Amino acid sequence: MGLQRYVGRRLVQLVITYWVFLTLLFGIFRLAPGDPTSMYQMDGLSPEARQQILERLGLNDPLHVQYMRFMVDFITGNWGDSFRYGEPVMDIIVIKFWNTVLLMGPAFFLAFAIGIIFGAFMGWVRGTKKEKGGLILTLFARSSPEFWIGIIVLMVFTFQLGWFPSGGIRAPGAEINSFWGRYLAWDFLHHLALPLLTGVIFYMATPTLLMRSSMISVLNSDFVEMKKAEGIPEYIILYKHAARNSILPVTTVVAIVIGLTIGGSLVIETVFNWPGMGREMVQSVTYNDYNVSQAIFFLMGSVVIFMNLVADIAYVYLDPRVRFDEQ
Amino acid sequence: MLNIENLHAHYHTDEGTDVHAVDGVDLEVGSNETLGLVGESGCGKTTLAKALIRLLPTNGEIVDGSVNFKETDLTELSDEELRKQIRWTEISMIPQNAMNSLDPVHTVGAQIVQAIRTHEDCSKEEAWNRTRELFEELGLDENRVKDYPHQFSGGMAQRAAIALALCLEPALILADEPTTALDVVVQDQILTMVSELQDEIDSSMIMITHDMSVVSETCDKIAVMYGGNVAEYADSETIIKNPRHPYTLGMRNAFPDISKDTQELISIPGSPPDLIEPEEGCKFAPRCPFAQDECREVTPEPEEFEEGHVVRCHRADEVEYLQEEASKRETWAEMKDDQGDLISATDGGTDE
Amino acid sequence: MSFSDILNRGGSDTPSGVGIGQRIREAFQSTVDLFSGERMGQFGVFLLITFILLAMTAPLLAPYNPDTRHEAEDGSLLRLAEPSGDHLLGTNHEGQDVLSQVLYGTQVSVFVGLFAALIAVFIGTNVGLITAYYGGLVDDILMRLVDIAYGLPFLPFVIVLVFIFGADLFNIVLVIAALLWRDSARVVRAEVLTQKERDYVESAEAIGASDFRILYRHILPNVLPIAFLYIAFAIAYAVIFEASIAFLGYGDPELISWGKMLYQAYTFGAIRFAWWWVIPPGILLMFLVSSVFFIGRTLEKFTNPELRH
Ligand SMILES: Nc1ncnc2c1ncn2[C@@H]1O[C@H](COP(=O)(O)OP(=O)(O)OP(=O)(O)O)[C@@H](O)[C@H]1O
Ligand SMILES: [Mg+2]
Repeated sequence: MGLQRYVGRRLVQLVITYWVFLTLLFGIFRLAPGDPTSMYQMDGLSPEARQQILERLGLNDPLHVQYMRFMVDFITGNWGDSFRYGEPVMDIIVIKFWNTVLLMGPAFFLAFAIGIIFGAFMGWVRGTKKEKGGLILTLFARSSPEFWIGIIVLMVFTFQLGWFPSGGIRAPGAEINSFWGRYLAWDFLHHLALPLLTGVIFYMATPTLLMRSSMISVLNSDFVEMKKAEGIPEYIILYKHAARNSILPVTTVVAIVIGLTIGGSLVIETVFNWPGMGREMVQSVTYNDYNVSQAIFFLMGSVVIFMNLVADIAYVYLDPRVRFDEQ
Repeated sequence: MLNIENLHAHYHTDEGTDVHAVDGVDLEVGSNETLGLVGESGCGKTTLAKALIRLLPTNGEIVDGSVNFKETDLTELSDEELRKQIRWTEISMIPQNAMNSLDPVHTVGAQIVQAIRTHEDCSKEEAWNRTRELFEELGLDENRVKDYPHQFSGGMAQRAAIALALCLEPALILADEPTTALDVVVQDQILTMVSELQDEIDSSMIMITHDMSVVSETCDKIAVMYGGNVAEYADSETIIKNPRHPYTLGMRNAFPDISKDTQELISIPGSPPDLIEPEEGCKFAPRCPFAQDECREVTPEPEEFEEGHVVRCHRADEVEYLQEEASKRETWAEMKDDQGDLISATDGGTDE
Repeated sequence: MSFSDILNRGGSDTPSGVGIGQRIREAFQSTVDLFSGERMGQFGVFLLITFILLAMTAPLLAPYNPDTRHEAEDGSLLRLAEPSGDHLLGTNHEGQDVLSQVLYGTQVSVFVGLFAALIAVFIGTNVGLITAYYGGLVDDILMRLVDIAYGLPFLPFVIVLVFIFGADLFNIVLVIAALLWRDSARVVRAEVLTQKERDYVESAEAIGASDFRILYRHILPNVLPIAFLYIAFAIAYAVIFEASIAFLGYGDPELISWGKMLYQAYTFGAIRFAWWWVIPPGILLMFLVSSVFFIGRTLEKFTNPELRH
């Protein structure tokens, strides 16, 4: 059926996108100023020793050889060592990756869930004071960069009210027994609350506004009037017909919001000292630790690309017109 | 069964003015009777139908009058009463564009089932079975109940919309140009089928259309609307054979095949009236070849001539003269020439 | 009469002889009409103009040189002084006047916002026009490029690029623009595709107008309302991204910006107590960005009439 072919075609596109993305990654980090040796240079590295290191890292090979090796290494998960920590990048990143996923994932889903409900409500009460108030609040939320929201949240909930810790992922000295023990703890949630809130406030705005305008145009359509004529109760028209149709265009911003969320992790994790990929990315760029930065960049890009695919498939699934007509 | 009295429905505009889209309408529909509502585009037909079941858009409002349906005034009911007691169980609708009137993300069958189960206490299975039967009756393949609207052709969607309208066997069906989106052959088939089914379930219908020939075939009574009023109302035969209102006479000319009197197509010159806060006087006067001073100054009231033949025209009593003159091309042609300086009437010589 | 009506005239029925001055006057008049009765939009325009004026007059308005380290009477550095008559918004950790810094910071945000947005939308509009009009391979390639641009995580990419090319203001503007063009390219392309089917394009083709003329004299005026809308959105994003870059410590080291002020306040731990140092740049940032979103809402009503109810 159409759906399978569609998914097939999208998978091919995915491979191409990935290839371009990796090539870009290779290019960018080769362009970066300094090379890994610049860190050691301060310690009086002799030119010969420097050449040795470059040789060992394969940085003296012709570009196409480096390129091929880069591709193979990346795909096989062989991401090299961190110059800064002297450990394999993979080991450093795994935990950070999960830390980020557990912060930004919920932020993303809550932002969409709340945004869709809130936007549907605003569309339903269009033209009233409630809608206007909601709209203005949403616009202000969307206008505040994550770090500004984070700072306000900290000022209020931590420094004024003292309800939540100012940062970090767990109280100092907390014991961890297992992978899951790390996250299934009250302490973790306590630390998660504020960065999560910050993310939700900012990312909510886009789905809210889109849902609202989508809702308004759906409410003007003939079939909504028809459902009223049929005597279907208002709340059923609201969620089963109006909201259900309005969600379709909202799925198209999933990609954009994912991009925002991933980027936002840099800022939010910095504000809340959250030991995730975003903060690590900022630091590794500063320290020229480019094995780490490119690995994180790769992971972040992968999430965006993969989620784009999921969003497209969700769209096709939600809209029977596309589901059946797509060749 | 349905008795509309002095109904006024307005649209509020951004400029702060009101469009008097329905401007004092009186009408009656008896049991098992089909009323045809005809008139030019923009004369308020759709507004009238929507006002009946209080489905006007947010800027629309019923400002006066009553809609008495089986002893209850629909304008007085609460929203919830209206929804539970009237909508779809008693009054249903066949929309003009069926495709847009079905929710694209639910199957056609599911939407009919939903309508049934909203108003009747019946099991899912039973509702689905009834839906399949309806499909059969309307000449649709019952296996397609689980199709989505976009998988239907226009004609099929229209049939499905009719199935939806009939599913609760309502007492009154409002059909707003139910077939204009279709080609002529399909139009005929569907109209015939609707009439048959309507007889079968014993319901009345208000059929809105631009097309005189459609109403003359299917309707028992005809109301001709002009500028938010009913210009003339009578049984079909009278309207077609023996109309009294100059507008009806003019309209009749536009469909030469329905009456034997006129053979050639003559159209009424000029454009429909502006409904924004109309002034005193007959709304048709500016386009009427028979208009006199009185017509421009005093709004005519509906007047009953023979039993059940109501006309809103000061000169309706001069019926023979009007019919005679109206069938001549010159009568309307001269109008056309003088469009610019309003109307210099062809008869009374009442120049301004 | 709406904005797009006026602009449409250019495309549909204005004889090509109409002077450009006339067109601009009409466009201006219709812009005024557009915002009449739109309180949110008016508020946005008012805010934006205020910010632009502030940016231009910052050197006149600022009470001190923003870099001057003020000293207390005893000769010690006047660190973290609370607001007072001398320093209306107090001082920061290095004894610099916060009000002066905030005023100068306006320049950076306004400059980055306007320039990055104009460049981005200029590129995006042209790409959209050309890809949609010619279609085929050009379209395929450019649109895949747009797709890939959407696959890049924005902020990390900007930071890496800024890091590579150096954190000077121009680079920041260019890098932001280099990523923001994708949004306007996409929507302009979609709009051109619908415009292409209109009669006026056909008749222009029929009388043998050149492609260039059709694109820029006939089609462009019809997509301008959308382009304007995307300039508004692009300004908002550019301001937010510049501030975020600065907050992460990658801003232009030579300049004072709101993001950088907050970065300093944050790293110094001042958000615990020095509200006068933290609140002003944050609030202004929020108001500047919201001003264009408010304007955007009004513009959007005219590109999407359904929203008018
Ligand atoms: N939502 C609305 N707001 C303002 N005016 C409206 C609205 N809907 C209809 N009108 C106006 O009300 C008048 C009657 O419109 P209506 O749709 O009832 O006409 P109609 O007889 O059904 O026409 P048609 O044959 O074209 O369907 C028209 O002048 C129309 O412009
Ligand atoms: Mg109508």
